[in-house]
Amino acid sequence: MSNSFMLKHSQIFTRPIYCVIYLLLLFCLFLPFSASASGPATSKVNNPANDLWMSVRHNTESGKITSQVKSLDSTVLINSRAEQWTWFRMTLLIKYSIVALVLMIIVILLIFLIRGKIKLQNGLSGNMVHRFTDYERIIHWMLAILFIFLATTGLILLFGRPLLIPILGQEVVAIMASASKEGHNLFGPLFFVSLILMLFRFIKRNIYERGDLTWLLRGGGMIGKSHVTGGFFNMGEKTWYWMVILIGLAISVSGLTLVSPSLGQGRLIMELSHVIHSVAAIILITVALGHMYLASKGTEGTLESMKTGYVDIKWAEEHHDRWAKECHENNKIISAQDYARLQGKNIPNQSPDQSSLVEERK
Amino acid sequence: MIAGFIDGPLWYFSLTVFCIGVLWKLASIIFGKRKNDLSVARASGIPGAIKTVFSRFKADKGMVPHIRVQIVAGYMFHLGLFAVLFFAAPHILFIEENLFNLDKIGINWLAMPHWAFIVASEFAFLGLLMLWLHRLMNPVSRLISTADDHIAAILTFVVMLTGCMALLEGFSELRLLHRFCVELFLIYFPFSRLIHAFTFIPSRAFTGAWFGRRGISS
Amino acid sequence: MVEEVLAHSDYIDKYTRELVMSERLERGLQTLRAQMDTKVKSFFSSCVHCGICAEACLFYTETNDPRYTPIYKTEPMRKVWQEEYTFWGKFGKKLGLTKSLTEADLANWEELVYDGCSMCSRCSMVCPVGIDIAYIIRKVKEALAASEYSPEGLVAATKRAVEIGSPMGVKLVALQAQIKHVEADTGLSIPMDVEGADYLALLSSMEIINFPEYIEALARIFKHAGVSWTLCSEAFEATNSGLQIGNSVVAAELVERVVAGAYKLKVKYVISPECGHAFSAIRWDGPNFIGRAYDFKVIHILELLEELRNSGRLKTSGKETERLTFHDPCQIVRRGGVEAQPRQLLKSVAENFVEMTDHGRMNWCCGGGGGVSANERAEGLRLKAFNRKKSQLDELNVDTIVTACANCRLVMEEGLEENEMDIPIVGLTEVIAEHLVED
Repeated sequence: MSNSFMLKHSQIFTRPIYCVIYLLLLFCLFLPFSASASGPATSKVNNPANDLWMSVRHNTESGKITSQVKSLDSTVLINSRAEQWTWFRMTLLIKYSIVALVLMIIVILLIFLIRGKIKLQNGLSGNMVHRFTDYERIIHWMLAILFIFLATTGLILLFGRPLLIPILGQEVVAIMASASKEGHNLFGPLFFVSLILMLFRFIKRNIYERGDLTWLLRGGGMIGKSHVTGGFFNMGEKTWYWMVILIGLAISVSGLTLVSPSLGQGRLIMELSHVIHSVAAIILITVALGHMYLASKGTEGTLESMKTGYVDIKWAEEHHDRWAKECHENNKIISAQDYARLQGKNIPNQSPDQSSLVEERK
Repeated sequence: MIAGFIDGPLWYFSLTVFCIGVLWKLASIIFGKRKNDLSVARASGIPGAIKTVFSRFKADKGMVPHIRVQIVAGYMFHLGLFAVLFFAAPHILFIEENLFNLDKIGINWLAMPHWAFIVASEFAFLGLLMLWLHRLMNPVSRLISTADDHIAAILTFVVMLTGCMALLEGFSELRLLHRFCVELFLIYFPFSRLIHAFTFIPSRAFTGAWFGRRGISS
Repeated sequence: MVEEVLAHSDYIDKYTRELVMSERLERGLQTLRAQMDTKVKSFFSSCVHCGICAEACLFYTETNDPRYTPIYKTEPMRKVWQEEYTFWGKFGKKLGLTKSLTEADLANWEELVYDGCSMCSRCSMVCPVGIDIAYIIRKVKEALAASEYSPEGLVAATKRAVEIGSPMGVKLVALQAQIKHVEADTGLSIPMDVEGADYLALLSSMEIINFPEYIEALARIFKHAGVSWTLCSEAFEATNSGLQIGNSVVAAELVERVVAGAYKLKVKYVISPECGHAFSAIRWDGPNFIGRAYDFKVIHILELLEELRNSGRLKTSGKETERLTFHDPCQIVRRGGVEAQPRQLLKSVAENFVEMTDHGRMNWCCGGGGGVSANERAEGLRLKAFNRKKSQLDELNVDTIVTACANCRLVMEEGLEENEMDIPIVGLTEVIAEHLVED
């Protein structure tokens, strides 16, 4: 295998350095946003109507504006902040979401075309070790399926007006949007539940520990040529876990706020929730695309861990050497034959093409 | 035109296939030829049969730790779906108007509040998703599952999903899509694993009777 | 030119292959079709492939091989049901889209059904839709036996049972020799061929050869309780190999021998001994094998002992002080209904009787029933399956195991030896006999 400088270890592309850079970029993008549009300059000629207009426009004389309707925000006649929010929602968010997603897809394609699948140095041995239980894999795929569904419906809602209406027409998009909104709202809480299940199930293995900093300082194998060490989860994976949990929680909490408007929160909280929800979602979707690529096509031997729960011992030694060592010490390695037996493939003496029952069962 | 087809002929066709299919299946089981057991029974099998129809709802204590996913997700799905099917306002309205003209007789029953509808459907979705994923992930169920099992799970999910998407009740296309999926479901039902919803009763009864004759509660 | 020739020969091959169907496969298919009944159809319609049955089967739990999932063992029959009784099955078959059952399937399923299943029925107790899986497996055995895909050991045992009268080849002379020893040890005489006795006692070959203390116990208890009983020289064997291998014709023949003996001696009751499958065969399946009800009653020895104890005819004194437990033989307890009696009996003679966690109707099989112990090929698997019983025993830490089936006893003795566990196993009748009040 070529020791290409940039691409020694697979995990770097979803891992800290990349994420840090991206986050910095994103932060920079918001700097112009933070400079809020200032109000119109005070006129030199004092028009009495102007004062009234100003106080209404900017709600400057609060307490002086009263309403018979005693409910939240009922004294707000014009919500100036909403203009900024609308601009964020209709211009900034859409523009940079497209940039982020397209950029990520291009990066993944480039990596796939140039680098190809990252294979193991010493190949697969056939001897397997158990990595994830049934329950753990169920939680992962549940979260994944829910995430993909929510991402799809969410993106339809986000890009509906600018991108989809020109292509599909208003009627079709109206139906799609309505369906997406209902689906998105109903499945959102399920994502939250799955996230909590994932939090509790995997938290112990994702606590940062000694050796992780080394991994980070070596850029996951990028800096220097020596082998990087990893436990059950290496530092990159741990960071991805915490991203999913924390950003996911941000999405969930803001989402739950958005879906229950009559809990006493006003416009400000709703607008903030929306900003957090959409920005966090776009970040998570973008990084998730990288995760999806690397965990499947991108690296040899990785997808099996989530499909069958077993991984090749050679894969474990290369990517998670400290965990592999434990497996060796505790005799957890099973032969290819035993593995086949555990998967129900131990058919005694028959070639599959003669049996009618065995062929059915794939 | 499509709307007319879905609300009209296809609805009647699917309902007929469903009813005849289920009745036929149950009749063939209940009236099917069975050999008389010539051994001397300790007790009549009938109490055993009835008891077992209900006792199988509860898993044996020793088994529970090993089948937790099936129990939890199974009940979440079945109870959630049952609640949504029979106690969600749009469904009650539909049944009253379309199935037995109950509204003309004046029979109706209380719908659950909207938030309960949402919660019940979320339980149903979560349960079904978990069950289907368990079917894929667990080596035992992966080995013994057939295409029928997967189609049934996915079809049920699609029916529920199209229902969810039409929740706003603002677009007739979405309502029609849901109805169409329901009709496909009804046609598929009697020829698939889904018929267990009815055949579990005679199955449990047979086994309950067999053990009951021997004086063992099952 | 070459392609044409090849295409032509392919066609001939296919044509000929379809005509010449293996006779074994044909017999297997015919039997599966004949065994189909309403119950089976109901069961297959209801199975949603949830996999819960696997967690109840010790052959699965101790190997984690999903092929030992109970409902998977019924696949050959399910296939026939699907093709002949379901819409999609018939549709697929007509259009040639699906493959029918092949001989390879029968060959593959032999090991699953005979080595990996003891017919203990624990799976039948846990199925959420109430499928009696053991009931179906019994029918699959019928087809495998008909197509001659049965283990050598079982076939040989069945042959011996039919020709000699005992699966272990125990002839009357061997029994008479054992009787002589018992008579010498007890000073009692063992009644043989006594016409008009109330009870005809059957024996299993295993007891005659390995545990003759059962015969001694019977003699002493019946003398003590004043029971009129006898053995029958022409029908002393209780074990039914036909049931174990799955051949109803053989099973019926073996039951007829007992019926003939009971008729000849004009007994009121036939006592089934401490052997699980013997009880199933004579008590529950027997009348159905021979197609008519008996004119005598069948009672298990434990049922009789409990009756005697309850009515005061059987008096015991003293109690075992050792910590002991009872291993429930599946065919006697779960499938036979004799659940309470062994417990009442044991409590009357033991003060430190503890139950295994899963006991009574939910007990775990010893792993050797249903012909598994007669199948040498299955020894490795059987010993592995014993790990389940081992973990039950490790939890309890008992000094003695009591059971009421000679086969369970032997299988467990082998399992304990394999695991270097030093726990003696005794028969319940024997324990009762040891505590009889001497008069």
